Amino acid sequence: MPTDTKRVRGPEVSQSLSRFVCKPETTLPSDGTRTDGRSRDQVDVRPVFVRCGLVSQAKGSAYIEAGNTKLICCVYGPKETERKDETDMKCGRLFADMRFAPFSCPERGSWIQGSHEKDLSLMVLESLQPAVCLHKYPRSQIDINVMVLENNGSALAHAITCASLALADAGIEMYDLVLGCSIRQDGASYLIDPTFLEESGSCWGSGENQGSLTVSFLPSLNQISGLQSDGEMGEGTLTAGVRTCIEGCYKLYPVIQQALVKAVRGAAPPPSES
Amino acid sequence: MSPMKLCVPGDKLCSTDDCRPGTGVYMRHGYIYSSLAGYVLRKNEGEELPVISVVRETETQLLPDVGAIVTCKVTSINPRFAKVHILYVGSTPLKDRFRGTIRKEDVRATEKDKVETYKSFRPGDIVLAKVVSFHLLMEQLIFWLFTLDLPAQISLGDVQSNYLLTTAENELGVVVAHSEAGAQMVPVSWCEMQCPRTHTKEFRKVARVQPEYLHA
Repeated sequence: MPTDTKRVRGPEVSQSLSRFVCKPETTLPSDGTRTDGRSRDQVDVRPVFVRCGLVSQAKGSAYIEAGNTKLICCVYGPKETERKDETDMKCGRLFADMRFAPFSCPERGSWIQGSHEKDLSLMVLESLQPAVCLHKYPRSQIDINVMVLENNGSALAHAITCASLALADAGIEMYDLVLGCSIRQDGASYLIDPTFLEESGSCWGSGENQGSLTVSFLPSLNQISGLQSDGEMGEGTLTAGVRTCIEGCYKLYPVIQQALVKAVRGAAPPPSES
Repeated sequence: MSPMKLCVPGDKLCSTDDCRPGTGVYMRHGYIYSSLAGYVLRKNEGEELPVISVVRETETQLLPDVGAIVTCKVTSINPRFAKVHILYVGSTPLKDRFRGTIRKEDVRATEKDKVETYKSFRPGDIVLAKVVSFHLLMEQLIFWLFTLDLPAQISLGDVQSNYLLTTAENELGVVVAHSEAGAQMVPVSWCEMQCPRTHTKEFRKVARVQPEYLHA
């Protein structure tokens, strides 16, 4: 077998890098408080930074930062649909794609979309579809691409918010904005807008009501467009959780509105009164 | 002048008793809500209720509508039809190119069966056309298929999702064409164009452009 002379081979004896990296906290504080100073059982969402219109190449774009979770979303379209096998051409189609950058999670991921990402993309699509006026864009498709730059918890919830902002920034007609919020239920108490550690921490109690819930909500129409839940929760806990998420969405609403208004004002001066 | 009000999708603007809905808004339960993020414009029409609409400065994506005059570029021709890319709708350029088809019998109004697409269009020509429809009804489609021998390359899906265009009017047809020598041709009659360099005449279905649109 010919030897491989082109590849630079490392030393014969090597050790894994992870042995030398100082590991971040993997355990939650034992007294039940949250690491970032927020409180349990209260609708205490992380302060959000939102900006629209960052990506010049895309029709519309939005960037959202909540704590350390950073996401960017781009919207392209409406453009002529590529799929020609659809018989019903009276309304447009939405395509949503959510990806995690390889550097976004503590463990390095790959650029190829895994099944978890495909699941999340479907969830984003499902949440946004009721909100977009697709009948106004027949035979066209609208592409939504969400990229998670850093995942520090509730990526899906913020992805939904970011995507609906990008759609509004692109000038696509929508019935309402879609806001996302998630909670982590830990026994009798809940943590709203959990961080990565809180979401996936391995030190969770094994009692009842352990799970997480993500809700996407249309604030002006008071409708829920998407709901995803993991884990085992009682019926009462689940309904209470949904209500909590809705409250969390209402807290986000003014910030999102302000960001959109700022983007519109910055984009162009007001049209003259004719 | 009072500053214009800005709104986001989902904002309740007013009730249907106060205004009529315009563009960028939708009605629900007797109230008018905004569907775009932009400026709220209230126009007084006169005797009727004012029209409320939401506008954004970015040009609204104009989709070719039935009956609209479009400017397109021929991409390929076929004995049955010519395929085009729609570039402008009226005078607004489109951001994304839509595809259209000009069938053989829609090229001109007279002698429809004697038309040869090779003598009407060539790839690269700029054509003015009118949108006929973009949704062939099943019965129309079946009838159309029976009136000509179905060639292997047309697929049903292909036909149904293209914009169908027609040039069967005097004012529609080729406006700009280049000859085989590469020079822009001058129209000679409704069916011929001449190259200024080689003086050869080529067949095209020429549009009769109104004199005021021609540059001197």
